[in-house]
Amino acid sequence: MTIWRYTVVMLCALGLCQRAQSRETEFSTTVWSQWAVNTRNGDSQALGLSLKPEFTSRFGNGYKLTAIGRLKTETSDGLQPDDVDRDSYSSLTRPSLLTQGLDAELREFYLEMNLGATYLTLGKQQVVWGEADGLKVLDVVNPQSFREFILEDFDDSRIPLWTVNLERQLGSWDAQVIWILDQTYHALPRSDATYAFTSSHLVPRPPPGLNVNIQPLSRPDRVIRDSDAGLRLSTFWDGWDLTFNYLYQYDNQPVLFQRSKMTATGPMVIVTPKYERTHVFGGTFSNAFGEWVARGEVGYFTNRYFLTSDPSDRDGVFEGPELSYVFGLDWSGLSDTFVSAQIFQSWVPDSPAGMTRNELETTVTFLVRREFLNNTLQAEVLWLAGITDGDGLLRPKVTYEWQDDVKTWIGTDIFYGNRAGLFGEFNDNDRIVMGFELGF
Amino acid sequence: MNNTLERLLAKVVAGLIFTLPLIVTDIQASDWPTGDDIAQHINARDEGKAVSRKLTMAMIDRSGKKRVRQTRGFRKYYGQEKRSVLFYLSPKNLKGTAFLTYDFPAKDRDDDQWLYLPAMRKVRRISAADRGDYFLGTDFTYEDIKLETKVSIEDYTRKTIGEDEVDGFHCYIVEALPVDEKTTRELGYSRVEQCVDDEIWMVRRSRFWDARGKLLKTILSEDIRQVQGIWTQHRIEVENHKTKHRTIFTFSEVDYATDVRDAVFTRKAIRRGL
Repeated sequence: MTIWRYTVVMLCALGLCQRAQSRETEFSTTVWSQWAVNTRNGDSQALGLSLKPEFTSRFGNGYKLTAIGRLKTETSDGLQPDDVDRDSYSSLTRPSLLTQGLDAELREFYLEMNLGATYLTLGKQQVVWGEADGLKVLDVVNPQSFREFILEDFDDSRIPLWTVNLERQLGSWDAQVIWILDQTYHALPRSDATYAFTSSHLVPRPPPGLNVNIQPLSRPDRVIRDSDAGLRLSTFWDGWDLTFNYLYQYDNQPVLFQRSKMTATGPMVIVTPKYERTHVFGGTFSNAFGEWVARGEVGYFTNRYFLTSDPSDRDGVFEGPELSYVFGLDWSGLSDTFVSAQIFQSWVPDSPAGMTRNELETTVTFLVRREFLNNTLQAEVLWLAGITDGDGLLRPKVTYEWQDDVKTWIGTDIFYGNRAGLFGEFNDNDRIVMGFELGF
Repeated sequence: MNNTLERLLAKVVAGLIFTLPLIVTDIQASDWPTGDDIAQHINARDEGKAVSRKLTMAMIDRSGKKRVRQTRGFRKYYGQEKRSVLFYLSPKNLKGTAFLTYDFPAKDRDDDQWLYLPAMRKVRRISAADRGDYFLGTDFTYEDIKLETKVSIEDYTRKTIGEDEVDGFHCYIVEALPVDEKTTRELGYSRVEQCVDDEIWMVRRSRFWDARGKLLKTILSEDIRQVQGIWTQHRIEVENHKTKHRTIFTFSEVDYATDVRDAVFTRKAIRRGL
């Protein structure tokens, strides 16, 4: 109810209610369903159904209003909507858990308008930066739900935020200024969820026998003072698409500060999850050279926090900068075929010996996609390989479009390798997926 | 002696029988405009500085299954440079997809192309080199789409080889052969035969042979009429003879008179959509 009251106030404040008459209205709905079966034990991992209504209205004064909702249910014992910690959402953004296994969410709700030479997008929206596929460096403006790790489409797992988004052309440059008034961060899986993180890179491992006390999440909640802001400058120069990005934000992942305490029952580790600020400086590039497209992005994070296993460390966390970058090459030299390779590296300079993650972590991705039968049949294989930890994820998939807006797919998600790695930790979650999508 | 004379006469008559058609054709051919002349006429035809139009794409497979895409397209010339953009309006799963091209006149400069896919929410730079690839599931190649009603001068050598009628309109048949093997591979055509209406200098029928020399597809331009003084095709049907797949493009709301804003041909425009 709060959301609707908020948005009605917002629209009326803009004078939309009085000044504009709806000129053109469109309504559509997407129905999506997917069944995932664990290939290790034959159990149903997920049987999900979602309904995504979308409403667009154009007004006589050039304003455009978009609203996208989502009703999602999981009917299996595996994945559930409340697998993620809902405390990471602000009250304005948090999905409503209607019943066990059914949640409703106003995914996006924004108004677009031209204000002279400035283009304003106001409301709950997704702002996507970066050039990488499947891996994120600068696509961190919006947090993400990891309920299904990274298996869900980013468009669905990305969490839209209440944002003021201004764009304006400045000569041959385009400037985008964003102001995010929404203290929502990554939705991380609960410890008993199917895709709960267990990798020591992300989750502290107290010595055996020690009691662990996890404190409530300490989250920013001052709408203005805890807001995030960013600037992107884009240009097209001598065939190159270039952007320069800056973001001042609370890192979407909470820092797990740890301290030891002696209690009546023995020593105890108290874990205090807390969000911390960081500055992000970065840029992207892309250009085409014959059959090839080169693209990449780089991001420098001034303040990142990494777990350390050094017992002498005061809070179990090392603070330092992080440099992440992706370089990708796309090739389309073969008819109806798309081949893409990316190398992603994350470097933490001057990292201490006890840091649980590696100083330099490398992941490579390969994608081969081919269209058949006038693009009605698509086959693809995506391979993400964690070079540092020797783990990975293989995702072959075949999609067939039966008719306009009716498609089905079948595929597998195969995790392999070191269980300490980000992919290997889900070794027991290999699955076959099949699903359908209808649009009307 | 008589036998020798008879044999000589027989040879002369036979020679005349075989060479006469060639002589007659040569006489006719000397009246026909050359292939290059026809190509120049086609490319000199007024297309308007800018155009906006609705385009309905119907794709029909051999079993009769039909898929329909509604789009709105814009095109504008900046001197010799051509910019065009296509926004998908339906079906739902393609709505918001947009395709932007900067087409440069210099042969050694590839086009700049971008594709916006709503599911990714990113404008992707795409390679323009795959001009023989089929355009988004249709039976037109990217090169067919790019040329619209024009023809490529650099890629083919042309010869006028006959006359014909299409829909009751007289036309010259022009045979176009790729200039080299590389061009054949790139375009996917080893021979093109175009029937060109010499009243309005538009191609009414094109036949394409694949790289192996087999008839590949036929394109028919129909419902050609003037819009704001510019001859405009309103229906194009292409049939792929190998796959029996057909694509029908239907143009409506064609407008050459209203200028198209430069801002439409930008990456941010394809991201925001119509």
